[in-house]
This record gives sequence, C-alpha cells and structure tokens, in this order.
Amino acid sequence: MIPIIDGEACTGCGKCMEVCPPRAIVMEDGSARIDEEFCEECGFCAAECKVKAIVIPFPRGADS
Amino acid sequence: MRYPHIFSSGRINTLATKNRIKYAATETNFNTPDGFVTEREVAYMEAQARGGAAIVTTQGAYPDALGEGKGFRGTMSIAHDRFIPGLARIAEVIKRNGALAALQILHCGREGGVDLDYCLMPTVVPQRLSYFKPPREITTAEIKQAVKDHAAAARRAIDAGFDMIELSGIVGYLISTFISRYTNKRQDEYGGETVEERCRLMKEILGAIKAETGDTFPVGIRLCGAELLDDRGGNTLEESIESFRIAEKAGADYVSVTVGWHESSSSVITRDVPMGRWLWVAERVKKAVTVPVMMAFRLFLPEIPEKAIADGVMDFWEACRPMIADPDLPNKAAREKISTVVPCIACNLCFSRLYYHQPIMCTVRPSLGREGDEAWGHYGFARAREKKRIGVVGGGPAGLQIAAVAAERGHDVTLWERQAVFGGSILLASRVDDGEEELLRPIAYLEERCREAGVTLVPATTCTPDLLQGMNLGVLVLAEGSLFGPCVGSGHLTPDEIIGEKKRPGKSVLIAGGDGVGLAVVVYLLRTGDHHIILIEESGRLGRDVSPFYLWRYLQMFKQRGVEVVTRATLEGWDDGKASVASAKGERSFEVDDVVIASRLAQPSAREAFASSAAEVFLIGDAKRPRRLHNAIHEAYRLGMRV
Repeated sequence: MIPIIDGEACTGCGKCMEVCPPRAIVMEDGSARIDEEFCEECGFCAAECKVKAIVIPFPRGADS
Repeated sequence: MRYPHIFSSGRINTLATKNRIKYAATETNFNTPDGFVTEREVAYMEAQARGGAAIVTTQGAYPDALGEGKGFRGTMSIAHDRFIPGLARIAEVIKRNGALAALQILHCGREGGVDLDYCLMPTVVPQRLSYFKPPREITTAEIKQAVKDHAAAARRAIDAGFDMIELSGIVGYLISTFISRYTNKRQDEYGGETVEERCRLMKEILGAIKAETGDTFPVGIRLCGAELLDDRGGNTLEESIESFRIAEKAGADYVSVTVGWHESSSSVITRDVPMGRWLWVAERVKKAVTVPVMMAFRLFLPEIPEKAIADGVMDFWEACRPMIADPDLPNKAAREKISTVVPCIACNLCFSRLYYHQPIMCTVRPSLGREGDEAWGHYGFARAREKKRIGVVGGGPAGLQIAAVAAERGHDVTLWERQAVFGGSILLASRVDDGEEELLRPIAYLEERCREAGVTLVPATTCTPDLLQGMNLGVLVLAEGSLFGPCVGSGHLTPDEIIGEKKRPGKSVLIAGGDGVGLAVVVYLLRTGDHHIILIEESGRLGRDVSPFYLWRYLQMFKQRGVEVVTRATLEGWDDGKASVASAKGERSFEVDDVVIASRLAQPSAREAFASSAAEVFLIGDAKRPRRLHNAIHEAYRLGMRV
C-alpha cells in the first residue's frame, strides 16, 4: 500500500526523502509528498518518520 | 533421471511423501491485520501446491489471542476457532493439488508483539535491532499458557484439515530464545546451565501437541543448528546439535535445520555465501537423530540437495526463497528444465519488506501475490485482443522482460541490444563481488523465455530511428538504461570503464555518487587493488537503494579499509589532479589521481529521438529513472501486460 502523508503533521525535515530508494518523495510547500508513479511501497519513509506523519494503510476486515 | 534422490518417495511418521521437496514456511503479510486468511494468501498457497512439492508448509500462524506471538502485521492467526474456516481453505487447495498440507505454528517471542508495545523474552537481554519491541520477561504462568495455546492451535490445525504440524523455534523466536544461553538466563525450571534444561519449553510444547494429535500424526520442528552468536554468548555448536536430539526424544517426527539468528554478525543467506555452505550443519544433525532431516538455506539449484540427499547429509530439500521466486521449481526440476526456472538471486527483497509492514515482493517474479489474478499471467497470459508489431531497444532486464511478456501475449516482438551479450547494467553488477555472478541467472532465464516466446533477439546492433523506418511498429519500448553523470570537468572515469573495461585508476580515487553504483565501484576497487578512496554523496545517506542485507557488510568493509566518506557533498570541479567538492562544511579540495562519476541520469531525450518511430513510444527502467533491478523488471512486466 502506498503510504499516506499527513501534511499537517509533517515537519518537512526531509528524512523520508533521503531513505526513499526510487526517490519518489518531493518536498512541496514545506511538507513531503509521494509521487505515486515511482513509489514502490517499501515503507522505508514511514519507518524513518520521527513524528509519525507517514502511515501505511493496511487492508481491513475479514474476508474468510 | 537427473535428480533421482530428490524425486524418490519419503516418509514422515505414517505419511508417505511423493518426493523429497518441501515448500518451507514464509510470512507474506498478505493476511488481514486481525489474523484472517485472505484470497491473496489462498491463491499464493495454491500456486505453491501446484508447483509439485511433496509437502507445502503454511506461513507460521500465531497461537495466542493477544498477538504477543505475532511478528508481522499481516500474519494469520490460529488463536481461535473463528480462524479455522480460512485455514481450512489453505489446507484444501494444498491437498487438492496433490501435496501434503503442513501448518506451521509460530510464536515470534522477542520478534513478536508487532501490534503491541512490548515483546516477550525468557530474560530481558538488550538488543539493537530497531524492529523489536521493548522486551518484557515472560512469567511462569504465561509460559504455561503458551504451552496450552500451542496445543489448542494444533487441535485447530487438525480441524482445518492439515496433514502435518510444524513448530518453529529459530532465529530468535520464542522457543529459540529459551534454548539459547544468550537469551535464557532464567533461574526457574525453564532456565538452566544445560541445554536440556533450556529445552524444557520446547519439550512441553511438543508433548502437549503430541497429546492433542496422537502418536501417528506427524509433528516436526525447525531449530537452529548453528546460532552464529559466539560474540554474544550464544549456544555452542554441540548444544545446538543436542537440541535436535532432545526434540526427537520429545516426539518430533522430523527436524528442519536452520542457521543464524537475525542479529548474527556474519552473512548467512546472501549471495556471498556459496550455495551448500551450510550443509555441514545438517550433516551434524543427521548424525545425531534418526528422524528425517531437512534444510533450506542457500540450496537454490537442485543438484546441490540432490547430492546432499544421495550422500546421506539430509533427507528432504526445503525450498523457501527459490519457490517464492518460482513455485513451479519442483515440476521444472522433475522435467529437467532448469533453464526455465525463475531464479532467486538472494536479494531478500521478500523478507526485508516484512519488517516495513508491506506484503512480500519478488524481484524476479512480479506475479508474486497476484497468482489469482489472470491479468498477471502467473499460469500464462491470455492473448492480446490485437496483435501488434513491437520493438524493444535495450536488452537489459527491463527490455528482456517486456519482450517476453509481450510476445507471450501474442505480439510480434523484436529486441535490439547494442552489446554482443544481453544483460545491460547487470553485466557490471555481476562482476563486483563474490557470488554476484548469480545475478546473471535472471538474464539467462529471460533470454530463454524470450526465445521460447518467439522474440526476435538482435544483439550487437545499435538501434536508431533510421533502422526502424518502414517497420510500421505499433509500439516502441525504450529500455536502454541510464547514463553516468552529470560530468564535471573532463578526463574522469565511469563505472563501466572500471568494472567492464578493467581500466585501473591511480592510487587515490574520488568517487562521486553514494548510491548502489558508487558503492559497487568502491567494493570492486577494494577487492581488486589497494586504493585510497574518497566517496562523496549528495544526500546524508549512503546506499539508499542497497538492500540492508548487503549494505551492512559493505559499510563494514569501507570502515576497515579506511574509505573516506563525505556526505551532503557534491563534486564541483575536477582539474589538474584537484577535485573541488562543495559540502555542508564548505568548499573542500581533494588531491586525487582519478575521479569516477558513479551517479546516474535517465535518458528522457531518447523518447523525442524515436517519437515518430512507432504509434506509441514508452520509456522504461533505468532509462526512465535510474533505480533498482526489481523496479526495471516490474515496470517492464506491467507494461508488457497492457501493450
């Protein structure tokens, strides 16, 4: 799943950009944004974010 | 027959097996966060069962209601009867496809509690891996409960229709932390100076499961044969081997031999470890027990387990990563069509994703996790509605992958490669370090797949817009890879000159670019000569695109060999033996013999040059944006699905 960035919580520190292997994160108006075309859904950015502004949605509910 | 021992029948307790191959358990993160089995998991397990292994093992299901044993967010649960219907679907698809269904019970212990704010350990022992939750000592009452949970899980596995049960006590999971003297310093009856005493939890769990299943139902266990924790006071080799003997005495019907813990400070499953490297551990266990002995761990090519079984080193070949990459490996080995096997390259993309709460992916098999979706062509592609003439420029992984998929969908595909051999940047990567020649296996496989699908492969030919005139192409795919740059000054070297053409730089070298390519040049130079190396990187981090399974070893090597690393720095000029570098700490100058430009640039202008060569023109792989191998292969595969 493509991570979701909370623009309000993001401090614009840029740590997520530095760990993103395909360089899919850009900084816009002081907060990080994911270019979905290049995101490979590795989750490195979410693990790196110190203020937990990046979350990985996970499929919910039981289907069996 | 090439592999008579692999394809001879075997026996585990009362069950006969059709061959000696077992798909070993792996987590997928495909299941729901509340522990229910998903369609995606069932389809994946069905693919494994259809592949021809005698035994197919599920991922480890956690047995406790709180999820203290749950190591990954998408792990399935066996902690309540409500999970039985989903588990039963997995047992059903495995058995329907002619394999024995084994359910693994896995309490992750100190690697567990993924949704909690703690994990359980026999004794609180500090550790450094950031993934782990803060440890708490498990109480005696909780140990007794864990034994009951395992027995109840075993009963549910039988109710769900499984043929066998497997326990996992490896790499730092609950059972292994009790067995190891590194993590078990308890003073009560679950600890002790002897391995026999520390195996008490394992014995109680095996005993409780056996009491639930009866004597004739096969129950196996995975244990660690060599912890590789000497620097942390882990078990001796003799103690580890003894734990297998104790497991047999406690009722285990087979044992699976594993090597290393997650914090072992040496390579265990990466390419620098030669295939078959750990068979000596299986051999030691084989001499200690009478029940069947199994092993996975770098046994990628069937001739290696074939010989090991023939030599009496082990009894069953467990395949984990090789069957993630190609579930059909057993069938292909049986038909002796090894060149058609999708080859695992031990990149560990699959495992490393688990720790970031993402579903597993496979560099070489994009259809992983999409086995149930026909569009992804796991069992073969449907033909495209309209047959097109397709040209592909570049015979690296991206070019070969799209050519194969497009041709399999019925298109008429021609591929041009500038060099006499296919592989593109992989040709360089395969020469960097020990074991890296394994990276050529996917290239050989893709070439074979292209040939089988009828792709016209044209090596040693530079494709130009002129060459394409009058070909009436419907689609042109540009996959020529990246260029090295940006260049500063003149007279610098590039990675293809150093690794490909073997040009030797002078004694002191500055390498600009600290991504995988720059690191590869450093590794190559350090292995083949004595250099003083300065590595500069624009960002604050080296090797952002290098797997953590490999990166730690490279960085360790750089430290030992005195590589000077300067981050947040860019090369501004290179003239007369002086490299000027702008860094966060101001302008710096380095006197060096040579400069290597190891950063990469996309080739977007190729699209303009070929704009009128076909009705549709696509740019893929490193030519679009320099990235990793799986990006190139997956992007190409996905484009192949839709052209």
